[in-house]
Amino acid sequence: MILSRRIFRFLATLSLALAACDKQPSQLATLSDDFGDPVRIDHVPTRIVSLSPATTEILFAIGAGARVIGRSDFDLWPAEARAIPALGNGIQPNVEAVLGIHPDLVILYASQDNRPAADRLRAAGVNTLALRLDHISDFRRTAHLLGAILRDSARAKSVTDSVYHTLDSVRATTAKLARPRVFWHIWDAPLITVGSGSFMNELVEIAGATNVYADITGPSKPISLEDVAHRNPDFILAGPIGAQKIAGDPRWRIVQAARERKILIVDTVLVARPSVRLGEAAVSLANLLHPEARR
Amino acid sequence: MTRFRAWYWLALLAVLIGIAMVAVAHGAVSVSLAAVVDALRGRGDPTAIAIVRDLRLPRVILGALVGAGLGASGAALQGSLRNPLAEPYLLGVSGGAAVGAVIAFALGAANDAIITLAAFAGGISAVFVALAVARVGGRGTRGDMRTLLIAGVIVGAFANAAIMVALARAEPNTVRGALWWMMGSAADATWERVAWLAASILLAGGALVYWAREIDVLSLGEDTAASLGVDAEKSGRRVFLLAALLAAATVSAAGLIGFIGLVVPHIVRRLGLRAHRPLIVAAALVGATLVVAADLAARTVAPPTELPLGAITALLGVPFFLVQLRRTA
Repeated sequence: MILSRRIFRFLATLSLALAACDKQPSQLATLSDDFGDPVRIDHVPTRIVSLSPATTEILFAIGAGARVIGRSDFDLWPAEARAIPALGNGIQPNVEAVLGIHPDLVILYASQDNRPAADRLRAAGVNTLALRLDHISDFRRTAHLLGAILRDSARAKSVTDSVYHTLDSVRATTAKLARPRVFWHIWDAPLITVGSGSFMNELVEIAGATNVYADITGPSKPISLEDVAHRNPDFILAGPIGAQKIAGDPRWRIVQAARERKILIVDTVLVARPSVRLGEAAVSLANLLHPEARR
Repeated sequence: MTRFRAWYWLALLAVLIGIAMVAVAHGAVSVSLAAVVDALRGRGDPTAIAIVRDLRLPRVILGALVGAGLGASGAALQGSLRNPLAEPYLLGVSGGAAVGAVIAFALGAANDAIITLAAFAGGISAVFVALAVARVGGRGTRGDMRTLLIAGVIVGAFANAAIMVALARAEPNTVRGALWWMMGSAADATWERVAWLAASILLAGGALVYWAREIDVLSLGEDTAASLGVDAEKSGRRVFLLAALLAAATVSAAGLIGFIGLVVPHIVRRLGLRAHRPLIVAAALVGATLVVAADLAARTVAPPTELPLGAITALLGVPFFLVQLRRTA
């Protein structure tokens, strides 16, 4: 927990320092986003709409929070982000509403649902960046990309370095410990879990455990309750609501870990975002999974 | 009726019981029949006991009840409406139930029982709206069951529009939950739900069997019915309401499971049944068998994911029906 508090303080300092570095020479930059579309950034954007929690967190962490003028309903961290107008759930955004606040850069989550919106925003002359964050490495890549766009690569690097430093230290702490097999309960109807294509699978491994569904290659997949029983995890990871449902549902008795109430409650807002708080997420998971080694 | 020999009934029952036994024993974890029997008596491995008692058995029975309800409902409707395309979901029941469920999802209902109740309430309300629409629209054509059918279709169309409006405004998790619910599944089976569904199906299905002779008369046409001293409008409404109740109960218990209500009555008629009392019972048995088989496929075809039961019933049922069609043609 000490490490995460240090990151917080670090980020707070960064946010305070943001106003100082606005004026920088304009340069031409061409890059390609995660749809593979070319994006030309001619000047440092000052009015950014960020429609995914992970990118909003990164923007605040690298000191560009004051440039964010629109966010999605789920972008609730840091607390300052809540004051920014929300423009829907971030999937298939209302293009008119986005254009209405005159952004010079729109950042979308690169899911196929968002493809038409990206095309329309570009057609309207607004720089649009579709980014997909599935792995921890995507966080680093995205933070560095946004750092380059905002002409502050050094700050982006120090943010990612600090996150990676925490992840490394958690990994080192848990390396020598026994690795419990865990099932991560994401959603109950349908029952969904995480596969090895998700940063959440990476977090489980860093925190010193093994995901019983690591054989699923995608980020997540619906699975059957019987199959969970069959794989017989040592622990179940679930959010507070999910944990309540598991405990109250007789069908879950077929899973030994549920019968024995080996349900670990995770903070879903903290661990479900591949962003600035990944280090803190890994610490909290490690504390849950290895209370014996808790610092 | 006389041609439908006793061994036909035994065969239908044996197939249902056989498939149900396979369904209890088979799944992500296979349990031997001996272990199933042990588990039923509370012996052996606690995981096996939990799988058989808390998961598979209620699930298989729920599937059978859903199939029975839909089959019986479809048989009664096709007979009384004299329309081979009539099926329970055409009455507005499915649309109304889905509206109820989607509203419950959108309001963040965390409880299965609340969603079930909302779906049931939605389904039944839709039927009463359809009956009211038919009463207004049917002036001058009293007793014409087709008006009732059209009213049901119209209420269903309105319900679909309402669902789209609700889902367009909902957050992704709500949409996913609602779509999953609409695709139909027996995975949420609990003993309470089984008991509740069994009671509704015994009541409404029993009433349909009791009034089956009126369906026989209705199937001859309203004029003939009138000449035989049957109040076609009153009987028609009664059948409509009971069939709708059956459908609403199944939809609220397991979501939308297509095809069964439409095609099972055809299959049963091709077995040679004409009178509605045995026809409804046989449709219940065949419907139950098909849904239990489809649910077994749904949870074993593509592990670890379960496929939507509503899709499997049609995927399995259509070839089955085509083979039958060919054989009797």
